[in-house]
Amino acid sequence: MALVSLQGVGKVFSGRTGAWEAVRDFSLDLAEGEFFCLLGTSGCGKTTVLNMVAGFEAPTAGSILLDGAPVEGPGADRGVVFQGHDSLYDWLTALDNIGFGLRLRGMGKAERRAKAEHFLRMVGLTGQGAKHPSELSGGMKQRIQIARALANDPRMLLMDEPFGALDAMTRAVLQGELSRIWAETKKTVLFITHDIEEACALATRIGVMRRGPGGTLKAIVPVDLPFPRERTSDDFMRVFRDVHGLIHDEIHGAH
Amino acid sequence: MRFTVRTERLTTIAGYIAGFGLLFLIWHLAATYLVKSTLFPPPGPVLARGWMLIEDGILQEQIVASLKRIAQGFLLGSAIGIPVGLAIGSFKPVRWLLEPWTEFFRFIPAVAMITVSVIWFGIGEESKVFLIAYTTIFVVIISTAAGVGAVGRDKIRAAQCLGANRWQVFGLVALPATVPYILTGMRLAMSNAFVTIVAAELIASNDGLGKMLWDARLFMQIEDIFVALVALGLLGFATDRSFRFLIRAFAGRFNATV
Repeated sequence: MALVSLQGVGKVFSGRTGAWEAVRDFSLDLAEGEFFCLLGTSGCGKTTVLNMVAGFEAPTAGSILLDGAPVEGPGADRGVVFQGHDSLYDWLTALDNIGFGLRLRGMGKAERRAKAEHFLRMVGLTGQGAKHPSELSGGMKQRIQIARALANDPRMLLMDEPFGALDAMTRAVLQGELSRIWAETKKTVLFITHDIEEACALATRIGVMRRGPGGTLKAIVPVDLPFPRERTSDDFMRVFRDVHGLIHDEIHGAH
Repeated sequence: MRFTVRTERLTTIAGYIAGFGLLFLIWHLAATYLVKSTLFPPPGPVLARGWMLIEDGILQEQIVASLKRIAQGFLLGSAIGIPVGLAIGSFKPVRWLLEPWTEFFRFIPAVAMITVSVIWFGIGEESKVFLIAYTTIFVVIISTAAGVGAVGRDKIRAAQCLGANRWQVFGLVALPATVPYILTGMRLAMSNAFVTIVAAELIASNDGLGKMLWDARLFMQIEDIFVALVALGLLGFATDRSFRFLIRAFAGRFNATV
């Protein structure tokens, strides 16, 4: 059985300017342990899909099942890494941010600290634990977000363009780190991006979305290249070209 | 690191001393060469008179009387204003119900309430504490409610998907994120409290700095008036600095805006 199953999911937002159909008839099964990249142009509804899986927004059509049970709101089984770093708690240290979910569960201070240290090390920030978010760079803040989500040991990770606001160098480094962490932890990941190269570098499967409104899944491309991925290899280029071909029409129809 | 912080602090203090020195110098020059009136005494005689009043224990008495009222009213007002502001910011029905109140009362200044407060509570402590609380409440409510409204959506969502229930979201996310707004509101309210206490004591009181101002006017003790004015300025300055220190200690490390 799939870990997550979206069946004919649709989402219509109704506002003062009328109704807006963000997502239409979206169906997808995610298997345990896979790294699924949802790729699409801006405004195609990919973030809306993630928000519905996270439970932040309810679908207006279809259903979303997690382990066979309908998703009815946000929960600790789905860890979310947000695009912006406003989601970190400015008044807590990096270490306390990472241990936040453990604190919610009433875990003791010493145990919490040890666990937080472990994940701080995993995201490569050993020794930075006492700093507050305002003292960390954008890339470091995203690392803290990833560590915070992982420390809570969720069934899956939902990542909403987590590296979108970073410079190209930092982004490439973090993509490499994320691949390594994914291999270490074997978490199921749903990763939203509009960057073809990023999707090709990270995913085991790439879902290409049709452009909005009423965005839906156009095609799924399996990527069976070994990790770490060599971005200049012929195989990588071939996958890139395939995905690029699929999204080409969507880019040039948009705007 | 520690060295630079200390140097910065010393520079700040030196700056304050120089600033006050300049203020007194200009005052001295203006009073001695420009105005030359017995109605505008230079700082020398005023400070001498102030020292005399301190030696007699009179000035302290007035200061303590005023500060006590400010402290009581301010704490009472904050104790009511913070929870009400949190409720307004957190629950829509409470906002609909109470926003007309805050928007109505905050345009009736505390000074305008002196008459009713004297009629209701007499000229004793109660009327002054009521006025200070009144002037504090609405500023604190509005700034607290605004703070709750300004908590980032992702902060709350992050807590929810880490497993936080409603109360944990409130206590561990919304409340700490609002603290800088609460403290800023209290700081604004404190300056209102100084305005209000003087006005209240001018009109109806047996002691305090306002009363001292009023009596000095009756007996044309011009130096006493200036002693009271300088005392007010210095007290206000000291209170505001302590507040800023508190805000920094609580929130400074993670909030660059304070």
